[in-house]
Amino acid sequence: MGPLIPNGIIPEDWNYIIAILIGLAFGYILEASGFSSSRKLAGVFYGYDFAVLKVFFTSAVVAVIGLYYMDYLNWVDISQLYVHPTYLWAAIIGGMIMGVGFLAGGFCPGTSLCAVAIGKIDGMVFTLGLIIGIFIFSESFSALEPFFEGSNLGNITLVDTLGISPYWIIFVFTIIALVAFAFSDWVRSKVKKVFY
Amino acid sequence: MKDKKQQNRHVYWNPYFGGFLLGLLILFTFYMTGRGLGASGALKSSVVTMVNTVAPTHAQNNTYYSKFIKEGESPMNNWLVFEAIGVLLGAFLSGAFTGRLKLKVQHSPKITSKRRLIFALAGGLLFGLGAQIARGCTSGAALSGMAVLSTGGFITMMAIFGTGYAVAYFFRKNWI
Amino acid sequence: MSKKYKLKRLLVRRYQILAAILFILAAGLVLLPKYKKNEGVKPELFVKNAISSERYINTDLLADRLVNQDPSILLIDTRPEKEFNEFALPNAINIPLKNLLDENYIEYIDQDIYDIILYSNDSFYADQAWMIGNRLGYKNLYVLKGGLNEWFNTIISPKYPDETMPKEAFELYSFRKAAGMYFGIGVIDTKANPIEKAVAKKKTPKKVKPKPKKKKRVPEGGC
Repeated sequence: MGPLIPNGIIPEDWNYIIAILIGLAFGYILEASGFSSSRKLAGVFYGYDFAVLKVFFTSAVVAVIGLYYMDYLNWVDISQLYVHPTYLWAAIIGGMIMGVGFLAGGFCPGTSLCAVAIGKIDGMVFTLGLIIGIFIFSESFSALEPFFEGSNLGNITLVDTLGISPYWIIFVFTIIALVAFAFSDWVRSKVKKVFY
Repeated sequence: MKDKKQQNRHVYWNPYFGGFLLGLLILFTFYMTGRGLGASGALKSSVVTMVNTVAPTHAQNNTYYSKFIKEGESPMNNWLVFEAIGVLLGAFLSGAFTGRLKLKVQHSPKITSKRRLIFALAGGLLFGLGAQIARGCTSGAALSGMAVLSTGGFITMMAIFGTGYAVAYFFRKNWI
Repeated sequence: MSKKYKLKRLLVRRYQILAAILFILAAGLVLLPKYKKNEGVKPELFVKNAISSERYINTDLLADRLVNQDPSILLIDTRPEKEFNEFALPNAINIPLKNLLDENYIEYIDQDIYDIILYSNDSFYADQAWMIGNRLGYKNLYVLKGGLNEWFNTIISPKYPDETMPKEAFELYSFRKAAGMYFGIGVIDTKANPIEKAVAKKKTPKKVKPKPKKKKRVPEGGC
């Protein structure tokens, strides 16, 4: 069965139409959850608003549990899904740079697009910054290439890394998420409210 | 009371509800296309297109741009670009229904708009750079990666949020 | 009144309830009885492949590719060794059906660089080999339609077309005749030293530049 388009069950021509529809839903959900507001996003780092953590972890848990149930029922073949490749040091350093960028700019690429759509000027400036950042990266690619291509571990999952059953990983991940939710509510009750 | 409500016009969805729907969307996306969501990929395509239009030979010679340039096909002709168009439309619709469409700079009352914009530009620049190095941003690498238990996705997620908490103190004036 | 009260209490506890649901779902994944998934292709796809006429290659097409020395084909003779030594198509490798899954041979079949053409006297052994290979998910397997019998009837000794037949039939005949002459020499060549030929061929596959995979579109990167 699934994934439907790579397996030719839905013709390739539909790919872009589905892309727009998926994007539409993605944008709607992000905006309606308040991700177009940089101050709401930044709240997760100061403890006054944990929407980012809650949305992020809920969606990851729902998606991963759903995918593995679908795999179990043979509706989708997990091995056919695209697994983000692991380039160890590139992922760590890139993630750290993004972390600083997140705190300075208050958005990430997806949310900045939402902010642009509803007319946030800071979102537009952030997007401009993104474009410049990508441009700088591309121009200095020859210098960064060894690092960028280095420490390639392939398209591995936690199952390969930890060597335990995916079901246990999901179970532990779910518990971590639930604890994080409870913890975030506790932190929020202790922190001074910030209105934005 | 009314004043406070006016000030606090951010009646957003319950985060668990939003997260649940987003999870279903990721599920649906994987089921349909075999890949996850993304956002910075579309901007990368835009950069490649811009450079390719302004300086085609330069783009051909650069190893990074040339990866995304195919004969007779625009780099904009890409799944993620269409998805990004959808994101813009979807966010616009949501903003329109709830009356959040407004041209403004959102910033903490303690800082000026100018400061906010400078930081936004710098943050965007860093984020763009980091997203290229890590081969994906919070949606492409972390969120979609986590959905298929990708090790890289988890590492990227932890690096983003770990660093975020580590440097949060230095940026506190911008936000609280 | 009490109903309303119950609902209220439920609403107060809604997060705990949702958390419990999530917990149960995750625990369910751990506790579900595991079964081994089908390896190789799914039964539905297998049937679809089996009834598809695309798994056959006809003798004319094969002759054409052989004459043009198409480097992307690999001929596999599924008949017993004795028959192979008596006669075989040029550059064929002998993998008798009973040895199909031997370790030494499996690397010839389980690959996606060459178009593998299986043949036997008729299509029978070749078809069986195809079935086994396809079930295991091996790629680019084809069967020579009609096998060697058809090969003799069409390429080695083609029938002269009737006067009333269309022009194409004559063109086909002259092609077949030319091909037949080409293979007439080729066949003797193979006959002289069939085993060495096969051994020699064993080494060549690695030298040839791999053909781009004819794979389904693989989903690519995120951002």
